[in-house]
Amino acid sequence: MEKYFDVKYLWGSFPMLLPYLQVTFVVAGLSVLFGTILGLIIAAMKLGKSKVAQKIANGYITALRCTPSIVLLFLVYYGIPAIVEIFGVSMDTVDKIVFVVITFTLQFGAAMAEVIRSAYESIDHGQFEAAVSVGLSPFQAYRRIIFPQAFVVALPNFGNSFLELIKEGSLAYTIGLIDVMGKASLVIASRINAHALETYIALSIMYWVISIVIEQLFLQLEKLFSKGKQVIKPA
Amino acid sequence: MLEIKDVHKSFGKNEILKGVSLKIDKGDVVVILGPSGSGKTTLLRIINFLERADKGHAIFDDTDVNLKTASKKQIHRIRQKVAFIFQNYNLFHNKTALENVTEGLIIGRKVPKKEAVEMGKNALDKVGLSEKYHAYPSELSGGQQQRVGIARAVALNPDIILFDEPTSALDPEWVGEVLNVMKTIAKEGTTMLVVTHEMSFAKDVANKVIFMDGGVIVEEGTPKGIFTNPKEDRTRQFLRRVLPEDYMVYI
Amino acid sequence: MSETFDIHFLIQTFFVALSGVPTALIVTIVSLIVALPLGFLLALTRINRIPVLQWFSQVYVSFIRGTPVIVQIFIVYSSVPLFLTSLFKFYHVSVDVYKINPIWYAFIVFGLNSTALMIEVFRSAISTVSKGQLEAAYSVGLTNLQAFRRIIIPQTLVVALPNICTVTINLIKATSLGYAMSLQEITLKAKVAANANYNYVEAYIDIFLVYLMLCSLVEYLFKRYEKHLRKYKTVAA
Ligand SMILES: Nc1ncnc2c1ncn2[C@@H]1O[C@H](COP(=O)(O)OP(=O)(O)OP(=O)(O)O)[C@@H](O)[C@H]1O
Ligand SMILES: [Mg+2]
Repeated sequence: MEKYFDVKYLWGSFPMLLPYLQVTFVVAGLSVLFGTILGLIIAAMKLGKSKVAQKIANGYITALRCTPSIVLLFLVYYGIPAIVEIFGVSMDTVDKIVFVVITFTLQFGAAMAEVIRSAYESIDHGQFEAAVSVGLSPFQAYRRIIFPQAFVVALPNFGNSFLELIKEGSLAYTIGLIDVMGKASLVIASRINAHALETYIALSIMYWVISIVIEQLFLQLEKLFSKGKQVIKPA
Repeated sequence: MLEIKDVHKSFGKNEILKGVSLKIDKGDVVVILGPSGSGKTTLLRIINFLERADKGHAIFDDTDVNLKTASKKQIHRIRQKVAFIFQNYNLFHNKTALENVTEGLIIGRKVPKKEAVEMGKNALDKVGLSEKYHAYPSELSGGQQQRVGIARAVALNPDIILFDEPTSALDPEWVGEVLNVMKTIAKEGTTMLVVTHEMSFAKDVANKVIFMDGGVIVEEGTPKGIFTNPKEDRTRQFLRRVLPEDYMVYI
Repeated sequence: MSETFDIHFLIQTFFVALSGVPTALIVTIVSLIVALPLGFLLALTRINRIPVLQWFSQVYVSFIRGTPVIVQIFIVYSSVPLFLTSLFKFYHVSVDVYKINPIWYAFIVFGLNSTALMIEVFRSAISTVSKGQLEAAYSVGLTNLQAFRRIIIPQTLVVALPNICTVTINLIKATSLGYAMSLQEITLKAKVAANANYNYVEAYIDIFLVYLMLCSLVEYLFKRYEKHLRKYKTVAA
């Protein structure tokens, strides 16, 4: 192993890694999409009247909050094929990205359930009553009064969860997915572990820039949507 | 006992205090009146160094302190002599009523704990809160919280107590009890500098009333003099606004 | 993958996973001992706008929050030996940097990481404690230090507690990445046990259960402590 720091390798890593950002974003995008739907369902269970549904939702949220991403990833990667196999179906040909998306959908769903719930609960009940009292139907009250307000409250937390998702997604390399992180490991392996540091620094700069961009994006969104509206502070 | 000389203070471009001087003798109860924004709070905060003046002196007994450049030591010494009652009480949220009172004694003054607790209880008894030694601020009404605030100040046995609108954050029902406590300690000879909009307190308890407007002292005198025979137009206008008609007649 | 689900292995490996708990906890606790005071101090530099330090902590927080923990681990794990080797060579210290116990790397990574998170936690918590509390402390004659120790810090801690709990849980979870430093913690131990017969499903169920227990316990302890402190929180928050 060569043991010195060479900036040449740092710059050289960018063109090799950049194309694989696409995979990172596809994983994140799909997980956000499915995870938000899952989160809505779980939040509805938690806010609903059924005690059983509440228990299930709570249990799900707790379990997911307590499980490291890498553990969840391997549980899904080994566990789902094992379960499916019982029914005589083989998942050998299924692409790895599917397991990654399932993993982060499950995780993002749990996070979103809490985000949605707390946003919903932060809205004063008087808002609904006032809406109904001026003649809106309950559905209209939700759509026109409650949802827009809850959306503004949820936005920053949604942004945070999204950032977490992108960062945790880097662990997909452990099951062999070639996203930016996976590509970085390949690059390092191809150099027989020399100049690993330079490659990782290049990688960290990429993640850093992405995070800052997303953060700014959500800040702007927040400004846009809370314009003219009273900013509601979550309790 | 306390003399303030030529205090100036600006926030950014706004000059809030434009040379304020006043003198308070031992046992005086001085009430400051004035419209909102006239700099009353700022003046009190400067005396307690919660704010730094741009210029000015405080002469305490015989020691002269520069209100702009005072050292940490000087500030500490002045704060030992001056107590402050806040408009919004500012009780320590993480301490019980009794602990609020003893905190300054034990930590600030190094009074032995047992003695401090005794003093603290006495102070709370004086403001009528013998039942509430161990209640946290969140468990007290506004009036009770402000009475703890007064007990906290009184227990320190300061040379002077500064009150910044002690009743204006209170629901009307609690104002009376706080004013009564203030009257009691005034009668005991406590030197007080009070910013308030409670005209009855100014009239009945104060021996000197100061009217401030636009960062200067417009007029000062006895309550009777100020209320019945104000010399300045601005004072008259202010009083006409804040005093009920029949009250003018009553004086 | 093994053909059948092995209950016996499941039970056996549960205890293997459990034996990794002390390592995970030590790393967590040491990191917190570093992060809590340091995070508080750096949060103060941002609140009080202390020239160079506030800028430093802002960039620091941004970097740590903007990059995956696993990448941070790799950076520390590949840079510290480089640095130490040249340092040792310079001072003629004959220590093999590659024989250093990985737990030291874990302390560095997770200490740095949680310090950044604590800065954010305390920054928002301190801003909820009103300026009036500090002024009241001054007005009864407390010094700056006394005011912070007795009034501001206790109140800040109460407000910050739920977020400190979250950071702690995330920290425990993040120690599962210790495998990248050959740290003998929960995940690595169980995984190694599974390697022999490919009982990965069982091993990961065990790991999952251990984390679930550990995190539930930590959350429970925080909740109890919170309740204990709740008394004055209603106003403080
Ligand atoms: N920290 C500050 N920064 C900027 N401006 C300030 C600050 N504190 C006070 N001011 C301004 O100084 C002016 C005087 O304020 P001050 O609080 O002393 O008035 P006041 O006479 O106590 O009024 P009120 O009766 O409303 O309490 C106000 O215009 C206020 O906006
Ligand atoms: Mg005022």
